[in-house]
Amino acid sequence: MARGGKAKPMQGFRIHLASMLLALVCAQAASASNTTKGDKAFGEYLSSLCVTCHQITGRATGGIPPIIAWPDDQFIAVMNSYRNKDRENLVMRNIAAPLTDEEIAALAAYFGSLPYQPAP
Amino acid sequence: MTTRRTMLIGSSAFAAGAMLGMPAALGQAKPRVVVIGGGAGGATAAKYIAKDSQGAIEVVLVEPKDSFVTCFHSNLYLGGFKTFEEITHKYDKLVSNYGIRHVRQMASAIDRDKKQVVLADGTRIDYARVVISPGIDLKYDSVPGWGKEHEEVMPHAWMAGPQTQLLRKQLDAVKDGGTIVMIAPPNPYRCPPGPYERVSMMAHQLKASGRTKSKIFVLDPKESFSKQGLFQQGWERHYPGMVEWLGPKVHDGIKSVDPKTMTVTTGFETYTGCALVNVIPAQMAGKIARDAGLANQSGFCPVDAENMRSTIDPNIYVLGDASIAGDMPKSAFSANSQAKVAALMVRGELINARTFPARYANTCWSLIAPDDTVKVGGRYEPKPDKITAAETFVSKTDENAEYRKQIQAENVGWYSGIIADMFS
Repeated sequence: MARGGKAKPMQGFRIHLASMLLALVCAQAASASNTTKGDKAFGEYLSSLCVTCHQITGRATGGIPPIIAWPDDQFIAVMNSYRNKDRENLVMRNIAAPLTDEEIAALAAYFGSLPYQPAP
Repeated sequence: MTTRRTMLIGSSAFAAGAMLGMPAALGQAKPRVVVIGGGAGGATAAKYIAKDSQGAIEVVLVEPKDSFVTCFHSNLYLGGFKTFEEITHKYDKLVSNYGIRHVRQMASAIDRDKKQVVLADGTRIDYARVVISPGIDLKYDSVPGWGKEHEEVMPHAWMAGPQTQLLRKQLDAVKDGGTIVMIAPPNPYRCPPGPYERVSMMAHQLKASGRTKSKIFVLDPKESFSKQGLFQQGWERHYPGMVEWLGPKVHDGIKSVDPKTMTVTTGFETYTGCALVNVIPAQMAGKIARDAGLANQSGFCPVDAENMRSTIDPNIYVLGDASIAGDMPKSAFSANSQAKVAALMVRGELINARTFPARYANTCWSLIAPDDTVKVGGRYEPKPDKITAAETFVSKTDENAEYRKQIQAENVGWYSGIIADMFS
């Protein structure tokens, strides 16, 4: 009786879950192909967490790659891969985890706008 | 009021005014921020306030030295992976690129009632806000038998500079079979994994020069330490039989140290005729912060988790090792992160700049052996009672050699990154 009693709510739950998942997938797809330009000023503020390692001049030493002047969609895709924990790197996963789509777009807009400055 | 803000007063006000190139004209409205200390917290804060206010805030950096030797990566100097020059960095670009005034003096006091910073020569500088990042002071009375007068014999090397070079010199002089004792510090202290990275670098130097009969004893007042499993696995793997870590239950306390005979006595053991004794004592906030009444009974300075503002004086921000930053460790990365939060809040207060909620981060890399590096870090956020870890991570013991090599490359890249962020 208890099982029978739970069957219907469970079915409902499954349908709800499926629609939620679908919505999530759509949201991911939308963010991955997000073409709306991010807020550069907001990105500059957020960048303070990034530039302890990544140099705004685009110069690079050791294992920290340059992240300036990338196309927005590439920057967003890479950040999403860390946020979704698809790509390996403990520091980047940790930094990316709480970022919203808007914040990632803002970072893409800011870093994308920076010119490479070679060492003097 | 306007005139007070712009004037330097004190016995050598005129000379100091000329030295600083400050206009003596009355009525100047530009608010002044005095940054005390040019380390990871102070240099970063000075740069970001000056850079982002674009001349709307006058930034004065009070720091007696013309260059900064980084405590971070000083263990890599000890291990022979970096030269001393590579861990030494000048302040000149902060002046030329951002118009920061670098006052080459010690700040001797903060007159909080008059809102003035007092320099060693008696000159007073009015301020709208102070950002203080004085680092640590050592508690010279925390190890029985050891004091400031013995630091040339038994160096601490916990403030980078001549002490770091002295420790390297002493390490180079250890003969094969010599005994090294490190007395590790109690919590809280600067750079939690630092003593254990140092042990690793000492062991590397000994091994690389064929002195594998030497032994390093780590006498620790703590029951456990940062990245303990990773370090102990690394010592076993790279330096078998060369490193022995002893917790307080095992050594039963440091009873005395005798610099004359190079002896360290614990509750259970006496180490005599040591070739090197590295004493890293207990620590507290830099003197000027304590003298200004900014520290509590812990010896460190409480701050508002939202913005790094002192909970004792709203016109003063305290950064880095001197602050009580909740779950954040005392590290250069932490100080750099805190400095950017404080810089934003200072601009918000003084020139109505747009502000955002604080976000903090830290990562500490530690080199165990060539191309074998581990890391620990996290993301932190303000909560009502303290800065709180939101998510943390740490290397695992089963990582392969290629992966550890990549982490060392990250470590090298991070160093260049934070140096560029602080000084250029």
